[in-house]
Amino acid sequence: MKNYERELNEAAKPGGAANKLKEFSVPSSTIKLIVNREPYELLVGKDVYPWHTLAYTLREKLGLTGTKIGCDSGACGACTVLMDGKPVLSCLILTIECDGKSITTIEGLGDPVSGKLDPIQQAFVNHTAFQCGFCTPGIIMSLKALLNKNPNPAVEDVKRALAGHYCRCISHYHVLKAVVDVIKRGNEKHGKV
Amino acid sequence: MLLKGETRSMAKYRYIGVPTPRKDAVDIVTGRAKYVNDVKLPGMLIGKVLRSPHPHAIIKSINTEEAKKLPGVKAVLTYKDVPEWKVGMPIHLRVLDRKVRFVGDAVALVAAETEEVALQALDLIDVEYEVLPAVYDIEEALKPDAPQLYDEFPNNICPLGVPWFGSSRIPGGLQELIMGDVEKGFEEADVVFEGTFRYDKFPNPLPPEPPGALAMWESPNTVHVWLPSQGIYIDEVSLYYLMKRKVNVIVHGCQCGGSYGSKGTILPLALQAIVLAKAAGRPVKLCYTKEEHLTAFTLRLESVVHAKIGMKKDGSVTAVKGEWLLNTGYYNAVGQAQIAVGLGEIQLILRCKNWNFKPKLVFTNRCNSGWIRGFGGQELEAAFLPLLYQTMAKLDIDPVEFFKKNVIKSGEGYFWRDGEWYTSRVPDFTKAIDKGAQVFGWKEKWKGWLKPTAVNGSKRVGVGVGVHGNADVGEDVAEAHVHIEPDQTVTLFVAVPEQGGGQRSNLCKMVAEVLQIPLENVRISPPDSNINPYEFGLVGSRGTYAIGSAVINAAEDAKRKLFEMASRQLNTDPGNLETYDGMIYVKDDPNRQITWRKAMGVTRTIIGYGRFESDFSLNNFLMTFVEVEVDTETGFARLLRVVNATDVGQIIDPPSLENQLNGCLGSAGIDTALFEETILDKSTGRILTANLIDYKWRVFSDLPELHNVVLETPFPSHRFGAVGVGEIATSPGPPAVLMAISNAIGKWFFTYPATPNRILRALGKV
Amino acid sequence: MKPFHHVNAKSVEEVIQLLKMYGGKARVIAGGTDLIPVLKAEILPEYPEIIINIKTVPNLDYVIEDAEGLKIGALTKLEEIGESPIIKGKYRLLADAANSVATPQIRNMGTIGGNICQDVRCWYYRYPHNIGGRIQCYLKGGKKCYALMGENRYHSIFGGYKGCVAVNASDIAIALVALNAKIKVAGSTGNRIIHAEEFFSSLRNILKPDEVVTEIQIPQPSSTAKQVYLKFRLREAIDFPIVSIASVIDMDGEVCKDARIVLGAIAPTPIRAEKAEQMIKGKVIDVAVAEKAADAAVEGAVPLGMNAYKVEIAKALVKRVLLS
Repeated sequence: MKNYERELNEAAKPGGAANKLKEFSVPSSTIKLIVNREPYELLVGKDVYPWHTLAYTLREKLGLTGTKIGCDSGACGACTVLMDGKPVLSCLILTIECDGKSITTIEGLGDPVSGKLDPIQQAFVNHTAFQCGFCTPGIIMSLKALLNKNPNPAVEDVKRALAGHYCRCISHYHVLKAVVDVIKRGNEKHGKV
Repeated sequence: MLLKGETRSMAKYRYIGVPTPRKDAVDIVTGRAKYVNDVKLPGMLIGKVLRSPHPHAIIKSINTEEAKKLPGVKAVLTYKDVPEWKVGMPIHLRVLDRKVRFVGDAVALVAAETEEVALQALDLIDVEYEVLPAVYDIEEALKPDAPQLYDEFPNNICPLGVPWFGSSRIPGGLQELIMGDVEKGFEEADVVFEGTFRYDKFPNPLPPEPPGALAMWESPNTVHVWLPSQGIYIDEVSLYYLMKRKVNVIVHGCQCGGSYGSKGTILPLALQAIVLAKAAGRPVKLCYTKEEHLTAFTLRLESVVHAKIGMKKDGSVTAVKGEWLLNTGYYNAVGQAQIAVGLGEIQLILRCKNWNFKPKLVFTNRCNSGWIRGFGGQELEAAFLPLLYQTMAKLDIDPVEFFKKNVIKSGEGYFWRDGEWYTSRVPDFTKAIDKGAQVFGWKEKWKGWLKPTAVNGSKRVGVGVGVHGNADVGEDVAEAHVHIEPDQTVTLFVAVPEQGGGQRSNLCKMVAEVLQIPLENVRISPPDSNINPYEFGLVGSRGTYAIGSAVINAAEDAKRKLFEMASRQLNTDPGNLETYDGMIYVKDDPNRQITWRKAMGVTRTIIGYGRFESDFSLNNFLMTFVEVEVDTETGFARLLRVVNATDVGQIIDPPSLENQLNGCLGSAGIDTALFEETILDKSTGRILTANLIDYKWRVFSDLPELHNVVLETPFPSHRFGAVGVGEIATSPGPPAVLMAISNAIGKWFFTYPATPNRILRALGKV
Repeated sequence: MKPFHHVNAKSVEEVIQLLKMYGGKARVIAGGTDLIPVLKAEILPEYPEIIINIKTVPNLDYVIEDAEGLKIGALTKLEEIGESPIIKGKYRLLADAANSVATPQIRNMGTIGGNICQDVRCWYYRYPHNIGGRIQCYLKGGKKCYALMGENRYHSIFGGYKGCVAVNASDIAIALVALNAKIKVAGSTGNRIIHAEEFFSSLRNILKPDEVVTEIQIPQPSSTAKQVYLKFRLREAIDFPIVSIASVIDMDGEVCKDARIVLGAIAPTPIRAEKAEQMIKGKVIDVAVAEKAADAAVEGAVPLGMNAYKVEIAKALVKRVLLS
């Protein structure tokens, strides 16, 4: 087990805040993440610090600003990303706890080269399932996880899956229309009615 | 669900009235749309605000030396360091002041390399306060011995009048509603009712994106500001004047993550970023946290109405006399404008010839109120309509019949915000009311005042109705340019940002319709104030009529110039020409045709100009029907069903319109009658609803059935006969819900919001 | 957030060692759904020096059924508990409670151990530091409980715990008490197994500063018992309960054999409605009996200035579970 005595003594020394930050600037380990199928190696003490949230790292270090920060406390869902396929709140996750994790953000949907959108994104475009758009990336990620798990959910299941998303413009009704459309097309594709 | 009513308009359009994807749709669904917190500039610093622990205090001493020494800190400012720039109407609020006036008021500003350094710097600022007594209630604030917030406003009363509303004839515009003879009116009445009602929980419109600003000085006299704006020119012109016309301001509108009016009160925040950027010599981004958004940013006005109402058996209102008290918190941005518009709006839904109705605008020691969707009218009607309902009930008048009778009709008049008298030119709104009532099933559901529609065990269902209208659909000036290129692409230059209404796309549709080219060929300029002509802003649902008119005029102007050129080559009068998909042809001989490219030549751009001047003779109208179920054992009120009914003349984009009307459940609208409220603890002066769990908002799993009935009877607005309606969507709902609950439980229910504790108390169970 | 050190613990012993070494200056992070907002709002006067990640400790994430009953590792996510066929079957009270927590994303991150160790939810206690300074309430060592005479609509109707009138808001807590669960805890003085009722017998819980929850043990409920969980709140998601109820009522045909009725969010601890339980034992539960039991459940309530309505809601919930 690691010996923490040294760190404890350092932390207890007088010198206030300035010394505190110097302590953290010594690069130590690396965090290996896969984000949208791209591998990243982040150096702790340089690219990432213990108190950085995943939302912060994605937006500020990796330039992926599609994931939004609304409340920064896990109540609005705007920061929702998929971690190992499950929707989670990136503003409540410490990046240094993500070693080895696979993360999908809104930028990971669709094909940037051909411009083809994910069916959920396309349905949102077709139905104008947004107004200000701030909550939209988070909602799309939750829907992606839901439809990956269950391509044919009932409307009530969709509403429950989206219960953690704060949409204030009230695009909910159009979102549900768009989802019903995606489900229908998915079923048609697989020969279901 | 959008239910279209009878369409009188026989016009068939290519784009207008046809659902089309929004221009920014792909950017939004891919996450590429850039909101203010997504914008990064080289060398950018993060700004943070040190906030007051006291609701009212004087700063005795403030020491920032330790904070300045912290590595990574590039600027620390106190009231001693900032220029004498002030905001407000009349101007009263400094960027930083020696006095603090609410818990959360700005005490000092810090700019640092990272957020964690800025937060640590805040801890190192040492402040000593002389605590003063605080006041939170309107009536208390008006008392002679009340604590005074501003030396220049005795009794905490903010003077009325809006300089830019009025004229030399009526300086300051509409400030009170006085006409006819109220005493005579009361004599004529069959019943006179007097009462007081309060819309007093100052809820938060709470857009998902917290407010923020990014400021960058280009030179000592030029500053660029990135803002989540609704009106980039309102912001630019305001900043220019409050910086004493010594600084050129360029405002860049970012994709706005919701505003509902509230980010119109962003000037104090913008100034904080601007002064930090100047002091640090680097760009500074200052974005509030959600906690700051809930406790230190725009709330609704608190509204108290004392009124005496005279009414006849036939539903005509013979007199209204009373007082409207408004609490704007510690800072007033546009309260007088909200008063002026509110006073105008009440006349649109109430045909009364005798008024004596006087407002008062008051300061108290809480976070500020400001512009919000409903703009004064919602705050007035939420407190006034329940008094009307009680009067109607005395005469057993069906409220829908009442509103049908009282809604303004073409040829009838009203004072608008500038104090002038206008004669309405609107179509007959009673048709929309009838259709809405039919879809809602009002005849079957209305059982009379204070009678439930249905009773199932402990659950009782009641119905209610509310109305609103706004004649600001044609407010203020708009200008636009349309640039035509030889390759049939057209660029629309208009200073319109995107905050959710889809207006940027709708204006492109109008251009595409006038010029008959593919919609993909129409582009719209970025909403920057330095490249677009003057345009007031996206407020008051003026986008469709006011901005639309300027855009249509600009497109028609460009088309005219194009046809001038083509007519020479086609040897005919320009009046004989038409165009389709980039081909200009002679109307009665379509084989005679040339392309735009041939008509213009490749080395040319045709520029069309359009301008719109204010027109206050048109108004929109919305009626909201609600059905609410009350569980009398737990006091829980559930919104079952909502039907909105309106007439917009011509729908520009069906999904966008529907979205706007569905918005009645957001922006501190209907739900301010059910569970939304800002809770201010008077013992500490702190707002306790300081996070998104404690401030209540509607969740996905709680959606009522919602129908929008939209008629299209052409308005005399512009070639499409359309007016906007989004802004008023939130306003009819709150009083309608209180009516429904009163009917459900069989007694008048008098408090916003109708949470279980209040309903159980009303039922006598507590 | 302000800076802190971080360590990925490899074993329960390491967690305990670190907690002991750092005194009050270390915090354990599991799902982080309560801890991270607490740190961001800086509601506590002491900001931690170090965050100890317990998610990297193996063998704490499991749902196992054996002859005695159910064993759930402390790191098991709420989502798994809510979706587990075993739990949804015989222990459905727990599944219902888990599924009612917050939102899907939070259930994907939050653990059962973390949920039962969540911190107090009182808006004075939780007031954010950056808006004029945290509120140094009584619970934080200050001189005053602001809720007592202030805005207490969500606070306790059964008095305070050592002067604090905040409530235990955990949904899992009342389900565990109703299911007669035990909680296994590891600390520097060894392991111990605590009855759920005792675990929650103080505001928050009775863990010592260097103890962590490792396992939840639930005995198999009677197959004739009906398990009902009701959560009264303003909205269908996100909200903590205003009043909640977890009940396991064993029936012999029409007659009640045995009952455990636990009310939540009305006191600093889960409240066993013992008088109500006694009243319905051996009786056929009809409307009259249910109403009497409901009255008995709230006997002795001492509502504050703004929360007497909770008494009514508690009665309504008791009545509803009995008649369901």
